[in-house]
Amino acid sequence: MAASIIDFFLKPGNELEPGGRPAAPVSEDENEPSVTCPNCHRGVPQSQIWDNLYCCPRCGHPFRMNARQRIALWCDPDSFEEADADLESCDILGFPGYPRKLETARGASGEADAVVCGTAAIGGRRCALFVMEPNFMMGSMGALVGEKVTRLFEAALAERLSVVGCTVSGGARMQEGLISLMQMAKTSGAVQRHADAGLFYTALLTNPTTGGVTASFAMEASVILAEPAATIGFAGARVVEGTTKKKLPPGFQTAESLLAHGFLDAIVPRAQQRDTLALLLRLHEGGGSHG
Amino acid sequence: MFSKILIANRGEIAVRIIRACKEMGIATVAVYSEADVDAMHTALADERYCIGPADAQESYLNEERIVSAALVSGAQAVHPGYGFLSENAHFAALCRKNHLVFIGPPAETMRALGDKAHVKALMAEAGLPVIPGAMAIHSVGDALAAAGQIGYPVMLKACLGGGGRGIRLVNAEGEMAAAFSAARAESEAAFGSAEVYLEKYVHPARHIEVQILADEGGSAVCLGERDCSVQRKNQKLIEESPSPAMDGPQRAALFARVTAAVKKIGYVGVGTLEFLCAPDGEFYFMEMNVRLQVEHTVTEALTGIDLVKWQIRVASGVRLSFSQQDVDLSGCALECRICALAPGTVQFLHVSGGPFVRFDTYLMTGSAVTPYYDPLVGKLIVYASTREEALRKMKAALCELVITGVPNNIEEQIALISREEFRRGSYNLDFMRK
Repeated sequence: MAASIIDFFLKPGNELEPGGRPAAPVSEDENEPSVTCPNCHRGVPQSQIWDNLYCCPRCGHPFRMNARQRIALWCDPDSFEEADADLESCDILGFPGYPRKLETARGASGEADAVVCGTAAIGGRRCALFVMEPNFMMGSMGALVGEKVTRLFEAALAERLSVVGCTVSGGARMQEGLISLMQMAKTSGAVQRHADAGLFYTALLTNPTTGGVTASFAMEASVILAEPAATIGFAGARVVEGTTKKKLPPGFQTAESLLAHGFLDAIVPRAQQRDTLALLLRLHEGGGSHG
Repeated sequence: MFSKILIANRGEIAVRIIRACKEMGIATVAVYSEADVDAMHTALADERYCIGPADAQESYLNEERIVSAALVSGAQAVHPGYGFLSENAHFAALCRKNHLVFIGPPAETMRALGDKAHVKALMAEAGLPVIPGAMAIHSVGDALAAAGQIGYPVMLKACLGGGGRGIRLVNAEGEMAAAFSAARAESEAAFGSAEVYLEKYVHPARHIEVQILADEGGSAVCLGERDCSVQRKNQKLIEESPSPAMDGPQRAALFARVTAAVKKIGYVGVGTLEFLCAPDGEFYFMEMNVRLQVEHTVTEALTGIDLVKWQIRVASGVRLSFSQQDVDLSGCALECRICALAPGTVQFLHVSGGPFVRFDTYLMTGSAVTPYYDPLVGKLIVYASTREEALRKMKAALCELVITGVPNNIEEQIALISREEFRRGSYNLDFMRK
C-alpha cells in the first residue's frame, strides 16, 4: 500500500524561499576518522574523500579505489553484469602459507580474486570490462587473473565488444611461480586475437601498475590511459637502481614521465574518466584497429 | 534557508509541518515507526526512514535513530513538532552536537524554561504575575509549611511535568502526606524526576494562554490569546481565540506584559505562556511551552499568520516582517479536537468544507488508527467575524465531518458546543465535570 500512497501525491516543486542564513552543509562529525594524505600530509575527514571521488579535497591526490568503486564511477547505473564471479584461485604449487594468504585477501577485499570481470555500459555503450582489485594481494596476477582476463577478451571477441580495463597490480603472483608468469603470454594472446578481429581495447593504468601486468595486457591496449601520479613500470625503482648502479632521474616510472616519453596516450583525472571512456567507446563503435 | 528538514514526529502535526515545507520549497524527510509505514506523513514527505518498531520509546523517542536519519538524509534542521522530543533538552543538544539546527529554543533555554518552579521565578522577575506557591518541595513537612502560608486548597505539581501528570489537589492538611507521595511517584515515573512544587489552587479558573513569536533581532509579537478551558483530565478538547472572558483593556495590559517578559528573557521562536484566570479577572502565569502547540491553528485562523512557516523562518535567522500593530485579532476562531475513542481503520472519510473551515488530519480512507500513539486524529478549525457565527459554522462543520470505522468524539463535540454555558462563553475548567 505504501508505494501506491506515495504515488498519489504530486510534488509541488516550489522554489526555496529566500532569506535567513544559507543552508549549512552537513558538517564534519567530530568522531569521524580522518586520513592523512600522503601527498600534502594533512588530515582529511573520510567523508570528504568519499565525496571527492576518493581524491584529497585539498591537493587532489588520488587515493586508491577498489574495483567496485571504480565500476560505480565508470559504468551506467545497474549496467554492470559480472562474469566468472564463482572462479577462485587454488594453491597449485603447494606454496607454504598461500592458502591462508588467499583467505585473508578474500576477507580484506570482499572479492574472490584480484580482478573483477563482466560487461557494462559506459555512456550508454556496452563493453566488456575488467577492473583489478588492489586490496587482493595488490592486484597480483596468478593463474586465475590470467584466466579471467583471457576469458573476458574471448567473450568480447565472440560478442564483438570493445574492452575497457583498469589495472592496478604489483605484478605476477610469486606464490604461483612460473604459472603466473605464463599468464603474460596467455593474456597477450587473447588481446592479440581480439585486436586481430578489429576490436577496440583501452586500459587505464592506476597506481601502481607494475611487473607482469605492465609487461602484458596493460601496455597492449590501443589507447593507454593513466591516472595522475600513478607509478607504472616493470621492475621497481630500487631494483633498477640497485642493478644498474645508476641514479634514476626524478619522476622515474611516473605516469607524467611515461606520457612525456610516449608510453601513454593521456593522463585522465577521475572526474573525466567516465566521459573519456564513453567518448573512446563512441569513436570506436563498430570496431577499431590496434596500435 | 534550510533546503531540507527532518520532521521528528507523526500524525497530523507531521503532515502540517510537511505542508509548510512544501510551500517554502524545503525538501522533507519523514521518520516513521513500523506501525506508520502507510501513514500520510510517511507518504507526503520527499524521503522517509523507518526508525523502529511501533513502541514510541523505540522509534519517535529514539534520539540516536532520528539524528542518524537526519545525518544520512543530509537534512540541515530537525522540526520536533509537539509532544515526543519537542521539549527534550538532551535531544536539542544532540542535534546541535551533530550540527543540525533544532527548530525550537537552544537546549539551555529549554532546560531553564522546562523546570516549572524555575520558570515561575524567572517570569515573576520579568514582571508577570505568578500563582503564589513554593519551589522544589522536598518533604511533607516543607509542603505543609508552604501550604499553611498560602492557604488551602493547594496543588502539588511535577517540576518537569506536563500533560496533567504528576499533579495532585490537596484540599486540607490531612490529605497532604498521601498526595505528596503520589505526586512524587507519578512524577518520577512520567518525567524521571520526583521533584515537585506547590502552588495555590485557583478555582474556578479559566486556562488562557498567550501565543508569542520572537526573532533573533529582539522583535517579539503577541499573536493573541487562546481560551483552552474546555478540558477533560487536563487534556484540551476545545480552544478558541479570543477568549470570551477577556475585554480589550485587560487584553492590552496582558499582551504588553507578556511581550516585555519574552523580550527580557531573550526568547526566540514560537512560544506559549499559559495563565490561569481567576474569577476576579486576575491572571497568574503557570508555565511556558517552548514549542508549537496543538492549538496553534486557532491563532493561525484568527491572525492569518502561518506559525509553522514563521517558526522555520525564525530558526533560519529571518527577522519578523510585521510588528504588533500589523497583527489583526478581529473575529473569532474555534477549534474542536477530534479524537479516536478506540483503534480502527477509516472506512469512509468526508471532510467538512466551505469558507474558513479547516480540518488538519492524518487520516484518509484506509488509514489505520493504532493504539500506540496519541488518540488525536484531527482538528477542526473555523473562523468567522463574530463568535456567534463561528459557533454556527463549527456546528455545521462538525455535522458534515464523517469518519466511519474509527469510533470518535464528533458527536460529543457537537453536544459540547451546543451547551448553553459554552454558547454564552461563561465556561471554566470545571466545564467537563458538569
